[in-house]
Amino acid sequence: MILVALISLQVSAQTIISGTVFNAKNEPIEGANVYLEGTYDGATSNEKGAFYFETPATGTQTLVVSFLSYEPFTIVGDVSFMKGIEVKLREDVSALDAVVLSAGTFSAGDNSKVNALKPLDVVTTASALGDFVGALQTLPGTTTVAEDGRLFVRGGEANETQIFIDGIRVFTPYSPTTNNAPTRGRYSPFLFDGITFSTGGYSAEYGQALSSVLLLNTTDEPDQEKTDIGIMSLGATLGNTQKWKKSALSVNASYINLTPYNAIFKSRNDWIKPFETVSGEAVFRKKTNSGLFKLYGVFDATNFELTQDDINEPEGAYFKLKNNNFYLNGSYQGVLNDTWTFFSGVSLTQAKNDLNIIESKVNNHEKSLHAKMKFKNRISNRLKLYFGTEYFATQFNESYKDTSIVHEDYGYNNNIAAVFAEADIFISKNLALKTGLRGEYSAIFKDFTMAPRVSVAYKTSSKSQVSLAYGNFYQNPSSNILKFNTDLKAENASHYIFNYQYNGDRQVFRAEGYYKNYSNLVKYDTEFTNFNSNYTSNGSGYATGLDLFWRDSKSIKNFDYWLSYSLLDTQRDYNNYPTKAQPNFANTHNASVVGKYWIDSLRSQVGMSYSFASGRTYTNPNSTGFLNHKTKSFNNLSLNWAYLISPQKILYASVNNVLGFKNINGYQYANAPDVNGTFNRRALQPATDQFFFVGFFWTISDDKKSNQLDNL
Amino acid sequence: MKQLIIIATLLISGLVSAQTSYEKGMQKAFSLWEQNQPTEASNLFERIAHAEPDNWLPPYYAAQINILYSFGEKNEDVLAAKLKKAQNLINDATAISKDNPEILVLQALLHTVWVTFDGATYGMTLSGKVVELYTKAKLLDPTNPRAVYCKAEWDMGGAKYFGQDITPFCKDLEHATELFANFKPETAFHPNWGADRAKMLLDSCQK
Repeated sequence: MILVALISLQVSAQTIISGTVFNAKNEPIEGANVYLEGTYDGATSNEKGAFYFETPATGTQTLVVSFLSYEPFTIVGDVSFMKGIEVKLREDVSALDAVVLSAGTFSAGDNSKVNALKPLDVVTTASALGDFVGALQTLPGTTTVAEDGRLFVRGGEANETQIFIDGIRVFTPYSPTTNNAPTRGRYSPFLFDGITFSTGGYSAEYGQALSSVLLLNTTDEPDQEKTDIGIMSLGATLGNTQKWKKSALSVNASYINLTPYNAIFKSRNDWIKPFETVSGEAVFRKKTNSGLFKLYGVFDATNFELTQDDINEPEGAYFKLKNNNFYLNGSYQGVLNDTWTFFSGVSLTQAKNDLNIIESKVNNHEKSLHAKMKFKNRISNRLKLYFGTEYFATQFNESYKDTSIVHEDYGYNNNIAAVFAEADIFISKNLALKTGLRGEYSAIFKDFTMAPRVSVAYKTSSKSQVSLAYGNFYQNPSSNILKFNTDLKAENASHYIFNYQYNGDRQVFRAEGYYKNYSNLVKYDTEFTNFNSNYTSNGSGYATGLDLFWRDSKSIKNFDYWLSYSLLDTQRDYNNYPTKAQPNFANTHNASVVGKYWIDSLRSQVGMSYSFASGRTYTNPNSTGFLNHKTKSFNNLSLNWAYLISPQKILYASVNNVLGFKNINGYQYANAPDVNGTFNRRALQPATDQFFFVGFFWTISDDKKSNQLDNL
Repeated sequence: MKQLIIIATLLISGLVSAQTSYEKGMQKAFSLWEQNQPTEASNLFERIAHAEPDNWLPPYYAAQINILYSFGEKNEDVLAAKLKKAQNLINDATAISKDNPEILVLQALLHTVWVTFDGATYGMTLSGKVVELYTKAKLLDPTNPRAVYCKAEWDMGGAKYFGQDITPFCKDLEHATELFANFKPETAFHPNWGADRAKMLLDSCQK
């Protein structure tokens, strides 16, 4: 009697819960986990999406349905009513295959959703010679300006691209160089693990950049303690990483001297003191309970002295440079609570140049500061808010002396305060919107500017999406202008971008069309900027074009390649231009092919890169017009080879311009015509047509496996 | 008679309560796993994890199933989603039990999935992490056989590639099998896997 009663009680205490799980398209979901929260009772949905289980629980309970890449679904109610429930799961917008706001952006990093470049590529690209800027020049949207080496993006000058480390501005990112050898980024790629290169339409967080931003992030936490030794044909590097429980320190020192190289290979420069640079970098990170503190510092000193051919100076033009550069960047990123995060950082730059140019002597000193504070509020997976404020301060002083001017001192202060706010709105997994506003007050011009930014992305299929972006950007003129005149306006650019992206299995295709409108560009009326020039902010210009990118590491085993092409149509009326013209740093066609092949049996990676750039404009005074001729096109084929001798020893060799193309970057014309009435000219050629590099890299670490392949 | 029934009832209910619902749940999950129903097993481990927020074992096993069934996955999207889920489960387990060598070994295995999926992309970036995790696990518990054997297997892969001598790692495997022989899991549900594979690898060494 009692037994029967007990059993029946047991049976009646079991409640049946059943239902079906679908996705938004009403297709059944198999394998979803369905359960009552806090109990063991649950089931897995079958191939028809159906689930069924029994529970002794009674009363009000929470039923949870969860599945990969979907937002968990919960329903609260009395268990007795949980029968035949139809559950529709919403796709998780933070899932990996959700739409991304990516117009204008190339990312390299493990964390970004769309990777055009992998971190390794930055340093294994044949033509890059270990310089991250060199690797970025194989991406569409950039123009090859071989004698300069800086980033020229979509018809913009090099100073329209700003570089940020851990979100904080770098004021002097490039090493100084002669005017016929490309510069390099100052910072060793080895300390960074994330690179985002935006060629337009970027976030309201970034200002004082008309064309582009390059964001570099230092490694949060190094993997292990190690020592890296590099011996190269140009010098040596030494790096060391130490780890403690909550903190880590990486230091890196390098010494480059071109004396031996110049002794072996003929250079077009007549070196008195070849290029020499010594630099040291350090990154310190400390984890706190709810955040991460980073301190990054770099010091470098460069000097060289030479005489270069010059059509107006029969003896050659004398040039001597001494540069000292110090940069310190500290930042803290912390979590305030579940929904709020906080970032703040500050950077200091000290840059000193002592220059002797023919008979004049120029000394300048730049001190800059950037401080930023940013908050992020993650209201939900579908709505995120960002806002913050920042301050830039630059003090620039220069003194000039030559045979006619005894001594002259001048300079300026350029202080800018800015606020920004931005929202990321995910309407669905397929449609997202980013909208922001940036306000800046420039003390030097006593002027306030407002810059709206917006971008929309829509997913057209599981692998493809289209995006539209618009943005307004302001930047104060460069020190070259401001040191003589500060009665101007901030220069302005508007970007309109349309982007299509296909992101398949190890295949990426991007096409981006854009239009860029410039206004308030500075104009002056003398050959070189000086105190006597008349300055206005009446210049203007435009740039429009199409960028294509294709990368494939799937089709051929162990072979990875990418192709990029940029079409650019640009004209501007600025500086001392008499009329609207295509500037000499912008050309019409740029193309790159980069390939890397891993030969397993040789434990080697061989790489090649080819770049083509159509001719650039120059003014020929023997005919009428301004910037009226074009040079022949530029070609460069580079090869590299990295051989792993053992897991920790690598031999690396590269040759730039293997085929020895005689590239011409432009022409210099005589100031006065000769007896026949023609202006003679001199071709501007690189210091050397080819460049060879050999290095041996050795890593010493506990695991006996790490090496510097990713740094080459 | 009536008394007998009461005693019997008490006994039965006593027996039932001796096996807690936790044990029943874990046993059921393990048997689902043995019956080659990994999704069901992982889902049950997850349910137990939600119900037992102070126990690191259920999320550990849910993560392990997701990791083991990711080896050999060819679709990168599916792989990324599975491993992201596994990573979240590992994070949950780590939040409950910090500096746990078993969880560190599992984390190293998760990275290994990426390395085997695409060595060219992930080898360079994750290799250092994998080794660091094994080293840390061995440091925390030198007698943990899984840390020793997994590191040996990892090292052997690298040595074979570079045509180097694998004998030092065979010695590590020998050491691991000794550790396996002496290993006593804390409870029946604590991790106790790997001995067979370590033995198999050691046998291939001696050939």
